[in-house]
This record gives sequence, C-alpha cells and structure tokens, in this order.
Amino acid sequence: MKLSGARLLIEELIHQGVDTVFGYPGGAVLQIYDELYKCKDRIHHVLTAHEQGAAHAADGYARASGKVGVVIATSGPGATNLVTGIANAYLDSVPMVAITGNVATEALGRDSFQEVDIVSITQPVVKHNFMVKDVTELEQTIKEAFQIANSGRKGPVLIDIPKDVQISECEYGVAVLPKMPDKPKLPYDQEGVIALLSQAKKPLIYAGGGITAAKAEKELIALAEKLNIPVTVSIMGRTAFPDSHPLSLGLVGMHGSYVAAKTQSECDVLLALGVRFSDRATGNIARYTQNCKVIHVDIDKAEIGKNISPDYSVQGDVKKWIKEILPKLKEQKHPKWWEEIHGFEKTKSKVEGDFHPKHILETLRKYTEDDTVVATDVGQHQMWTAQYYRFEKGRTFLSSGGLGTMGYGLGAAIGACFGRKKAHTVLITSEGSFGMNCNELCTAVHENLPITIILMNNRVLGMVRQWQTAFFGKRYSETVLDRSTDFVKLMEAYGGKGFNAKNCKELEDALKEREHYNGPILINCSINPDEKVLPMIPPGKSVDDIIL
Amino acid sequence: MKKFTIDLFVNNRFGVLNRITGLYCKRAYNIESIQAGPTEIPGCTKIEIVSTGDDYMRTQVISQLEKLYDVRKVELLSEMDGE
Repeated sequence: MKLSGARLLIEELIHQGVDTVFGYPGGAVLQIYDELYKCKDRIHHVLTAHEQGAAHAADGYARASGKVGVVIATSGPGATNLVTGIANAYLDSVPMVAITGNVATEALGRDSFQEVDIVSITQPVVKHNFMVKDVTELEQTIKEAFQIANSGRKGPVLIDIPKDVQISECEYGVAVLPKMPDKPKLPYDQEGVIALLSQAKKPLIYAGGGITAAKAEKELIALAEKLNIPVTVSIMGRTAFPDSHPLSLGLVGMHGSYVAAKTQSECDVLLALGVRFSDRATGNIARYTQNCKVIHVDIDKAEIGKNISPDYSVQGDVKKWIKEILPKLKEQKHPKWWEEIHGFEKTKSKVEGDFHPKHILETLRKYTEDDTVVATDVGQHQMWTAQYYRFEKGRTFLSSGGLGTMGYGLGAAIGACFGRKKAHTVLITSEGSFGMNCNELCTAVHENLPITIILMNNRVLGMVRQWQTAFFGKRYSETVLDRSTDFVKLMEAYGGKGFNAKNCKELEDALKEREHYNGPILINCSINPDEKVLPMIPPGKSVDDIIL
Repeated sequence: MKKFTIDLFVNNRFGVLNRITGLYCKRAYNIESIQAGPTEIPGCTKIEIVSTGDDYMRTQVISQLEKLYDVRKVELLSEMDGE
C-alpha cells in the first residue's frame, strides 16, 4: 500500500495504539493536519492554545495512562515552543514522542522562513531524535522512536519531518523494528544483597519514580510487608506506595516529614528502588549515607554511582528484580526499629490558622476518589500537595519534579483527563504558576473537561519569597504579585465557572458544584502570604538542621 | 587526575559527532583531542577522544556515552597519570 509520508505517520501512530494527540497546526505540518482531518474518527487531535501546553498535555497523558504521549508542532517557533515541555519530560523520564514539521529538505540550512535546527536544539533534552530526509525511512523511524521512548529508562524522542517528506509517497507496512542495541551491564552480587537485607536491623526503603515507570506498586507492597520495612518516597515516587499503608512514612527530602528524614538518618540499610538521589532528596550527600549501607536498584546504569556510591547495585527493571528476589528472602519483623520510628513520629510541624493549605487539601480529598489524578504546578502549593494530600493509587500525582516547570500543571491536567477517559481531574496551582500558561483554559473549556482547579492564591511568589525570608533578610525582590487579577472573572471569560473561597465552608460549597457541572471549574482560595512549606531541610544540610 | 583515551564505535548517521561532543559539553567534561574515521564495518565510524579527569568522571562519561542510541560500543583504550 503506497501512502504519503503524512498519511503513513498517522497510520503508524494508530498502529502504535495512539488514540489522542496534542498539538497546534502550522505551515510545515499542513500535510499532517490534512490527514488528521481525514482520520478524525480514528484518532482525536486536541488543539491547545500554545505548543508548550500541548507538550505538557502529552506528558500528563503519558504519566496518567502509562502510555506514550504524542505531540505535534510546526517548524520554527512551533518547534521551539515545545522545548520546555520536552525538557520537562526528559528530567522526569516520561515517555513522549514529539513530531515537528520542518521546511523542505532543499530549503534546509538556508535560514528559510520558520526554519530552526530543532534536532540540535533538543539534543541535550531528548533520549534520541531523528531528522527524516527520505520517506522510505519514515515508518521504521516512527517504530524506533516509540521503542526508544518506552523502553529502559523512558523519555522523550523527537522526529523532525521536512515538508517534502510528508508529501512524498512510499510503501507502508514494510519496515521491521530493529532490536535495541545490547549494552554492557554492571555485575550483580545477589548473595551479597540477600545477606545484607537479612542482617539489617534498621532497614529502610526509599522508592522513586522507577516504581511508577515499571508499574511495580504491588510488588513494592509485597516486598515491604514481607521484610516489615518502612517506606519513604521521593517526589517522583510520591504514589509508589499508598499513604494509608501502616509501613508508609511518606515523602522524604527537603520538604519531607521529620519522621522520614530521621528514619533515613538512623537506618543501617537503605534499599533505594528506582531513584536517582537528587540533591533535593538527599541534602548533604556526605552525611546522607554515613550511617548506612546502600543497595541501589535502577534501570539506568549511569545513575548507579552518579550521586552516591552504593555498597551493592542492581542494574535492571525494579519490578522484575523484586519478583525475582522476593521468594529468596525470609520474612522479617523489626519491633524495636518500629518502636524507635514511632518515637520520631511525635515531632511534627505546627499547622496554624483556619484556612491553612492542609485544610484545603483535606477538604478537597473528601470530594475526590483514590484514583483521581491530581496535577500540580511548581512552588509551595506543589510541596503542600505532596505533604498533605492523601495518595493511595499509582499515577495519581503529576508534578514537575526534575525541571520544576512553573506552568506545567494545566496542560498536564488536560492531558491526564484524556489519559483517564475524561474522568474528574484536579489541578492544584497558585497564581504565579497559573499565570504562566492559563491560556490553556480555552482548551479545557472547548473539550468540556471535568477539571477542578484549586488556585492557592497568596498574592506572592511563595516559594521564592520563603527563601528570601530565610536566606535573604526578607528583601522581597520581585516576589509580591499583588496585581489585582480577578481569577474568577478570568475563568468566566474563558467560558468556565469560577468561585472564591475564603474558608473551608465556601470551598466545600464550590466543590459541590462539580456534581451539577461537567466543564472546568476554578476555585480561587485566598491564603496567608506568610504561610511556609515546613518542615524544611536547608539545601546541603541534614536532618539535624531541619526547620520544623 | 588522569588522561584517558576512549574509542567509540558509532553508527555513521547525520549529526552523530554532534551528539558525542554535546554529551561532553552537557556533563561539563573537557575534550583535549578528537579524531574520527571509517572502520571496516559498513555504516560504523570510530571516534577517538582524549580527555582528563578522575575515576568518577571516567566511569560516568563511559556510562553516559553507552546510553546514546547511535553508540554501538565504548572502549577505554588507555589511561595515564596527567598533570
């Protein structure tokens, strides 16, 4: 069957199981959009307000569904607008395929209208990228792109397709997917790992995004229960372990709980599963492992030894590893260790005031299900959500962990909503982050998505201001955002419903409106600008320096 | 600090040299000398890179290079004490 490059692309996307793509048309992707038009009953295209929003939507779709997210943009500015979204997916290891059009091959390199070298621009922030100069290579390239994005440590892949390649025809259904190249692996001392785990008196599991990526949530519960080990999680692994589980100690790191930090500093064996020991998670790296031996399990060889040197390492898929080692381990009990941990639990940060973010999140939780996806933007509200919202199921917390992208949330919530068959989705944001990409409200309204937006409005750039309070003598340089934007009116202008809430009662009244309305709603919650994210371990410090 | 030489066997695809040098740049490692040429295997190019660093940097750069899709094999050719 002979097809044009553009049609071949759509057919192969459908073949790869893609039901939804996010994007924005333009001069260099006209052929592709013409084929999308013809195939609209087989593949749904979501038009966003901006290519960045489309990239975040593809990312949110991937995180919420566990499938590969796809975004399409035109050449030049369309392509460069994707860069933040691609970098965001790269830092958080999210499988994504980005497709860009480019000027015709004969016009390449001449600074043609809307021409940029997007392959070079994105190179440091993709797993791999391709420029397809011959239509006969297109089918295999798309197959390879999906395989690369979704295998090993997942991540984004970009395919740049010049205009003439989209028009040229070739035979479809002939390409064979090449085998992923074999790369050398690290040696694995299974007996040593079993011996260390069996001798441990004060073991601790530290779980990260690798658990989510490997879909190993059930296996993690089985492992923790058999060995009676407490479990802490990183931001990327926030939903790796259910909060209500008795072995759960919750978030660890700069804004993790005291009990998590103290348990970490007192443990004798740290079993790190699918983590990369980010500086935000470890604090002072020298003191981080001074009392314990470390077993590091990760799929990416380059992560082992990058930030800390483990005593034992396992390079591979964490789900496979747990399944393999679990029958070889004997059941354990650690009553003394747990007694010590329950002692640590008594030290907590104080929560004062009636409309503290904790109260907002607990009120919200009464109106959400365990499998409701919650996306966040970046800043104080993001950390409060990670601290106070009760997460029970995998892939329900979508947040920009590595890149820390303000403006990620709304696009991600839109994508997640499609990834979960338009189920109720929540966005927790604040006026700083929301201001960056609130243009995507038009997408949520147009698609009639049941997204509940909780806007924690403190009229300041809270997280930066918190650092200015702590480390810069309260010199609030450019962090006061009192710009009198009326977010309720803004929401209404876009065609959604907006509410103001100054207390939990008003918040509940607004949340109840969700029952009567299926489109997006925004609840503007006024909170105290001096509210801080606590506890906090200052950068480069340890639990001994914790600010409660 | 040691001076070490790495041999890379890579797919001779458009922009592959850019990917290799880009990785050194991104990880903040310095290249002292670089040369590239064909091998007897069709479609495979050999790139030889000399750089200076400690054991950590050497291990990291090899692991990171191995992850590149177009890199078939990485060999540590020689190591000697630098300045």
